[in-house]
Amino acid sequence: MNRTILITPFIVLTAICLFFLIFILLEKNPNDPPSALLNKTLPTFSSINLYDKEETYSSDSLKGKYTLINFFASWCAPCRAEHHLFFKIKKEIPELYILGFSHKDDLDDSKKYLEEEGNPYSYVGIDRDGKIAFDFGVFGLPETFIVNKDGEIIYKHTGPLTKKIIEDEIAILF
Amino acid sequence: MISLIGFSALCLSTIFSCIVLIPKSILQIEIKYFLFFIRSSTFLVCISFLSLIFAYVTSDFSNFNVFQNSHSEKPLIYKITGAWGNHEGSILLWVCMISIYGFIYSLLSKSLDSFKILVLKIQSGLFIIFCFFIIFTSNPFLVNSVMVEEGLGLNPILQDPALAIHPPMLYLGYVGFSLVFSLAIASLLETTNDRMWLLETQKWSIISWGFLTAGIALGSYWAYYELGWGGWWFWDPVENISLMPWIAGLALVHSLLMIKGEQAIQRWIVFLSILCFSLSILGTFLVRSGILTSVHSFAADASRGLFILLIFFVTTGFGFLVFLIKSPTKKNDLHLLLINKTSALIINNILMMIAVLTILIGTIYPIIIEVLTNTRISVGGPYFNSTVLPILLPGFLLMSIAPVLSWQTNKIKKFRVYVICFLILSLVITIQSYLTIFNPWGFVGLLLGSWIIVGSLISVILRYKFSLTSKYLKSINSFTAHIGVGVMIIGVTYSSVYQKEFNFNMKIGDEVNIENQLLKFDEIKIVDQENYQSLRVVFSLTNNNEIISYIDPGKNYYPVSKMITTEAGIYHAWLKDIYITLGSETDNQWFIKVYINPLVSFIWIGVFIMIFASIVAVIKK
Amino acid sequence: MKLQFFFKIFYIIFFSFSLYANESIDNKVKKLTLELRCMTCQNQSVYDSDSDYSKDVKIFVKEKFEEGLNEKEIKKILTKRYGEYILFKPYFNSKNLFLWLFPFILVILSMIILLKNSKKTKR
Repeated sequence: MNRTILITPFIVLTAICLFFLIFILLEKNPNDPPSALLNKTLPTFSSINLYDKEETYSSDSLKGKYTLINFFASWCAPCRAEHHLFFKIKKEIPELYILGFSHKDDLDDSKKYLEEEGNPYSYVGIDRDGKIAFDFGVFGLPETFIVNKDGEIIYKHTGPLTKKIIEDEIAILF
Repeated sequence: MISLIGFSALCLSTIFSCIVLIPKSILQIEIKYFLFFIRSSTFLVCISFLSLIFAYVTSDFSNFNVFQNSHSEKPLIYKITGAWGNHEGSILLWVCMISIYGFIYSLLSKSLDSFKILVLKIQSGLFIIFCFFIIFTSNPFLVNSVMVEEGLGLNPILQDPALAIHPPMLYLGYVGFSLVFSLAIASLLETTNDRMWLLETQKWSIISWGFLTAGIALGSYWAYYELGWGGWWFWDPVENISLMPWIAGLALVHSLLMIKGEQAIQRWIVFLSILCFSLSILGTFLVRSGILTSVHSFAADASRGLFILLIFFVTTGFGFLVFLIKSPTKKNDLHLLLINKTSALIINNILMMIAVLTILIGTIYPIIIEVLTNTRISVGGPYFNSTVLPILLPGFLLMSIAPVLSWQTNKIKKFRVYVICFLILSLVITIQSYLTIFNPWGFVGLLLGSWIIVGSLISVILRYKFSLTSKYLKSINSFTAHIGVGVMIIGVTYSSVYQKEFNFNMKIGDEVNIENQLLKFDEIKIVDQENYQSLRVVFSLTNNNEIISYIDPGKNYYPVSKMITTEAGIYHAWLKDIYITLGSETDNQWFIKVYINPLVSFIWIGVFIMIFASIVAVIKK
Repeated sequence: MKLQFFFKIFYIIFFSFSLYANESIDNKVKKLTLELRCMTCQNQSVYDSDSDYSKDVKIFVKEKFEEGLNEKEIKKILTKRYGEYILFKPYFNSKNLFLWLFPFILVILSMIILLKNSKKTKR
């Protein structure tokens, strides 16, 4: 009985350290929490085309294909930093539909931004008031999601994408 | 050049400490050489640290650490404090202190030589482990590969007097427990004069705890006036991390009191001694590994995190293993009655340990859950308030009468006096609550705090009457400490429960009436300081047409780091604080938040009394 | 020991008084946003934070209270999108059962053990 009590601290210590070790090795980022919508159906939305006021795109249209959704704005510096990588993705995964949302941005500023940096998006939707982003649980730009054929969110990343992230985390999904 | 000196001194210091660890079977060192190597090691590591400070003072940007964290335009005092305001420098300070504590112990200890040597060997072991950490992952003496003209500047939030002294105070506490740890391990490895070891542990644990209290209070006070959030405790992970060794240290100090009643549980004291330092290292790990989101995180690095995790596991594991294998088997003849001093101290220990465990599990629970389920949760203030406070409540109650309990019997002298006074006090407070605002938490806190003070005062008067000698101070010391806690509880209760908040939109010349005092927006001042530009809104506080004080909340702009900080304007009075923060401005109207925090001063006064009591406890009669 | 029991009863009675307060919407917003994490800050509550994100959340919470939703429903909407991470007070669900219960279980257990041991001494 005595020995059992005496060895408890050591066992607790080992268990705790194991959790810490795994957490560090998994390279979890405190600023990038796992999405609450992971493996769930994407939120319904309907968004007007940045370049055509008459055209809307709704979440239903996403069924049947893989989609990458990216929230950006012209005033967001990290968005500019990651922007060129979308061309790379488009080239490497041509069947991927790349959906961009202009989030809380002046429409003309967004258009100018895409003129300057290029437009890799298959469709650019307007999210002027941020309601669509809110439904996706976005809290800071840029945020990127990947939706599978069944309309489920299978990946989320907060913050700018990097080459390493694309190679390690996104490419493996295809 | 100075970086080379600093680094060489550090390495040499480590080598000297390694020499003393050579086992007797390979090389027999006489005690005088042993002490020479240990003390030279301390001397060298201090030179190392002073070289780093020198590099900061001379703004030697060839040193990478200075380059990253300093700037030639910083005021001298902050150049110096900047030396420990970053990860590498602070760990060097930590290591310095481990060595200094060993040094002082080697001078002051009255133990047998063989025991002293063992303690110093273990202390050196700790020293070496952390030195390796510095040399291999956190070297403050790295040289810049490029020629640079200017540094990257320090975070303006760190350019503050309270924050400058907060880390050294805190480390004096954390690292003090390293000596307590070494004493405990040595006592396990070599059964010796139990009495001497216990008395030394008592002295060093009180000293460490005292410093830790001061360090935590400084951090808390700094958060209060600097962060502009109106609060002083947020159950932020980093605050929790400092609280755990503090509570454990407190449990240790209380357990050591049992020496007096011949009831000391040696095994438990050894365990607590190991635990306190383990919690200190755990704290260091959690803060520097970057796995917790906090206001306070250092720049994180996975390799550093893993190294400290290793240090934590190895040191704590070693401690627990030695404890398991060599645990003292003396059967304790504890005289437990309901309720005598022994059982009160045991209840105290139990409650404190459960509190520590709760804070520990609460703080690391998100990590465990994220590893297991890949979802992230938060465990914040509301959780700890709902768990830790109720757990400590019976402890606080017990505190009021514990010092007068007897070791032998469960009778309290003049018990009826206490009961009557308690009932009168409850009545007074109930009436007071109904006449003002009634709030259940306010009632509980006020009753608890004041009962601790009243109960302690009754005990002092009944037993000791009054006199002003140092002997008197020493004999009433436990009451003094508890009165400090009572005062703090009243302060905590009142400033949180009865805090009032007012929001205004004001422009120059506007006046508002708050609690029969007039607050007038006098003017806007913009001042250029040495390393920042400040904008202040000057308010005048008047009572009956007499100006009591000026309060100036505002914002600071730091051109080097391009940061804007909000500076609260505070008017401190004994019975309340008026705390004002400046929001944003539209059309010359400023958004102003005014907090009235009643009895905040009691929090700092209470802490001060506690620290005073710890000083009295250490000073000889 | 008797004193502590007495006290706990006092405590429960007086605490129940606070449940009858009729709060204004702003107070409700303050109370809830104090428990919500500002997702773009370092460990600050939405109430204390001045960030754009917090401002948006405060507006949203106020709107929902005005629509008549209660605290629990608003929390549900927010956690659906941001996860339980946004709540400073963890839910009392199966995942967090251990977290919420273990302190109190420990207290009760240790009190029982202590009582048993003190009875032993009496003999």
